[in-house]
Amino acid sequence: MDLDRTTTALLNGLFDPRNAAAWEAFDRRYRPILIGFVRNCGVKQTEAAEIAQETIVRFVEEYREGKYDRSRGRLGAWLVTIARYRVLDMRRKAGTAKVERGESAMIDLDDDKSVGAAYEAERRHALLREALEELRTKSRTDPKTVKAFEMLVYHSLTPQVVAEQLGMSTHDVYLAKSRVAAKLREIVVRLEQEYEETPGDWEASGSRPSDGLRA
Amino acid sequence: MSGAGASQTGGAGCGRFTRDELELAAIARSDPQAPVVDGLPAHLTECPVCAAIVDRIAADNALLAEFAQAAPMPPAPRSTEESGPIQSGPILGYRLGDEIHRGAQGAVYRAEQLATRRTCAVKMLLRGRFAGERERIRFEREVEVVARMRHPSIVTLYESGVSRDGEPWFAMELVEGDRLDAFVRAKSLAPRQVAELMKRVAEGVAYAHRRGVIHRDLKPGNIVVDGEGAPRVLDFGLARSDDEGAAEQPGSGTTLVGEFLGTFAYAAPEQLSGDPSAVDSRCDLYALGVVFYECLVGRRPFEGARSIAELVTQKTMSSPERPGALNRAVDRDLDVVVLRLLSADPARRYDTADALVEDLARYLDGRPILARDDSVAYVVRKTLRRHWLASSAGAALLVTIVVSGIALAIAYARAERERVRSDRTLSSFRDAVGSVNPESAAGSAQLTVEQFLELIEQNAATELSAEPAVLAGVLDTIGIVHLGFEDAARAEKSLRAALDTRRALFARGECSTAELAESLHNMGRVLILEGRLADAESAYREALALRGDALGDDDIRTMLTARHLASCLRRQNRLDEARTMFRALEARARGRSDYPPLELAAIINARAFISSAEGDLPAALSQYQDALATIRGELPADDYRIGRSLFNIASTEEKLGRRVEAKAHAVQALAILRKRKGGDAATVQQAEALLARLESDPSAQR
Repeated sequence: MDLDRTTTALLNGLFDPRNAAAWEAFDRRYRPILIGFVRNCGVKQTEAAEIAQETIVRFVEEYREGKYDRSRGRLGAWLVTIARYRVLDMRRKAGTAKVERGESAMIDLDDDKSVGAAYEAERRHALLREALEELRTKSRTDPKTVKAFEMLVYHSLTPQVVAEQLGMSTHDVYLAKSRVAAKLREIVVRLEQEYEETPGDWEASGSRPSDGLRA
Repeated sequence: MSGAGASQTGGAGCGRFTRDELELAAIARSDPQAPVVDGLPAHLTECPVCAAIVDRIAADNALLAEFAQAAPMPPAPRSTEESGPIQSGPILGYRLGDEIHRGAQGAVYRAEQLATRRTCAVKMLLRGRFAGERERIRFEREVEVVARMRHPSIVTLYESGVSRDGEPWFAMELVEGDRLDAFVRAKSLAPRQVAELMKRVAEGVAYAHRRGVIHRDLKPGNIVVDGEGAPRVLDFGLARSDDEGAAEQPGSGTTLVGEFLGTFAYAAPEQLSGDPSAVDSRCDLYALGVVFYECLVGRRPFEGARSIAELVTQKTMSSPERPGALNRAVDRDLDVVVLRLLSADPARRYDTADALVEDLARYLDGRPILARDDSVAYVVRKTLRRHWLASSAGAALLVTIVVSGIALAIAYARAERERVRSDRTLSSFRDAVGSVNPESAAGSAQLTVEQFLELIEQNAATELSAEPAVLAGVLDTIGIVHLGFEDAARAEKSLRAALDTRRALFARGECSTAELAESLHNMGRVLILEGRLADAESAYREALALRGDALGDDDIRTMLTARHLASCLRRQNRLDEARTMFRALEARARGRSDYPPLELAAIINARAFISSAEGDLPAALSQYQDALATIRGELPADDYRIGRSLFNIASTEEKLGRRVEAKAHAVQALAILRKRKGGDAATVQQAEALLARLESDPSAQR
């Protein structure tokens, strides 16, 4: 695992206002998750992007003020609490209080369980997207192997058709599938550690926010 | 498949079975439909090498399936043409199995998604569905929206495409179960259980509506109840092109009449009008009403129509019998909910599917439903029924409400000269009512307001037999209370008794013309509620003549009756007569300086509506503009009525092809409507849909 990319490391980096890299990495990781979450509250794309941005800014402010105590709850729960207020606030300003009750049925903003599950699904989606991106751009996986995987999984072609198209044997197609799956699994496991959200992971990085003022 | 393929695909594991075969065994873990290779299951229990490989393949497949769902699809060939000369059946990436269903739209097959080997359903739509590229793009865009929807009551759509033969198709989750109507029949569900099912269906519909997706073709065949008893709605958002196609091909009705009627039975009247812009999410509410009705009583609300024209006439001109009359187990609340859904006028249905969900939840909890929100008396009744007269305070409260209502009516009904006599009569009447002890009178806790009002009516008939004029006033008031309950039958009985009494008195010169006219006007209202438009028309005509005589043609009450009459004509589709009346009314209203501007605007608006229905769009536009100018100074700038007016203008401009202006007005309308100062969610949705149409049209982007 890349220790500089763990959530803990990113959070530590956020303490330093000059640490643009931490800020950007944090934003890149959580903004898509928040946008997806807010979209599922029935908010339009542009407004969702705005709310996600406000949420991140607000979180960083609160975090720097020491309001977020990681030992007392998951990062996701904290972010969602901020985003949830923003959504409700936006609805109130838009005067859609009457629809609110109905809209909240998508993600019931009053139901922690449903909110938590929706956030978790978005987080997992973001992680899988990142894993796929990494497979395509950073891993040393043979492009033909990746191509075979894409044709199988995304274009829904049969192994026979893929084999014919790429000039491989069906057996090689199966091997490509299993190689890509193995690679993706490896990436996912690592990213899950980097995205870690439980307070128990404090010890893993060996640093605390108070001494995390490093560039 | 057998071991003979080993040379081609290479052996795997211990070498006894091919990789292909081990892959199949892995798929069989999650899909019981997968073919079984002879001897392989037994082998796996003995060979740890092969078993480990199968385990790993199964785990790989699960992970890759998660990717296929969650991660974005890389640029993929959209059709077979682009992907080269691959021969793999009519739909790339799927193996089609048995046909599950065949209907007017096309056929549904059980299918296997080859990459994931998951079983799904593939629906092939009829060829020629897309008139052009624009329709195809719209279909694809809509599928994208629909494919994002995840709701327990909606069948998930996986993907769509165009087959080698140019037929559009889409793949969706395969749900094994029964059609909703068959399920209800097989289980002999009680009305309450039907309401529970319908609530879950409505939740799915509400979810889709919030995403701007309208179903347009809800019917029992599109609602499947799965093995766990959960209803699932199929084919969301995919029916639009069909509607338009059907509207364009009236001639094809000859051989398909049965099938068309079957589908059309669920279509809202505005869907059958052939004007696509009249259709919004409320058409789904109408369809849910038909489905609900059918599940409760075992037949559809309008059966027996032999042609589409006849069906349309029935739907717009008459009200269905209430479900409770056909199935005694259906109580009045469900009657009200279902009949509200079946209102010919979309404005009288629920505003949104959410409102329906809310009301069904209330019904299931035993709380007062909101469908009769406008009637305070209804809530009182419902509250009292729950705690019915557990306290005598409850009884006293109801007596007070009813008696004070009647007292008020009498005070209005009687002129000053009779005041003393009325007071005397009223007090004796109050004594009579007070002596009715609801608890003992009905002998049970089941005494309802209807029964209570009947008791009052009976008492009044005895106590006031010597005072027929007062009795008529009391009956008239009781009738109005029943009208508030939307209890047309009882309202008609009381109002008719009042009317008959007043007619007799009128003949003897003991009742004023205005009072008789008022009774007739109220009778018109009941008859409209019952959908008896012709009878309503004659009541209104008589009321109008009498009011004209007694009050003059320019009296606001006379003009009110005239407006009701004109609306009644419009509902009967007698547009010429309605237009003439509205035009005369408008002239008269404009001739008065004190005519309420909002009333005037209502008349102009009705004229615009007729112009639009007759296809005279330029006239409709200028009338809508006129209506807007009339209310502008009268209302705050952000009142929803201004927003709605702007919406009418935008919508007419769209039809006229003046898209730039239409877009500007739609934007203004939406800004106001979204503030929700009054008004309803449905109009907001309509305006949003209009703006979306305009924004997706390049000719409006200037």
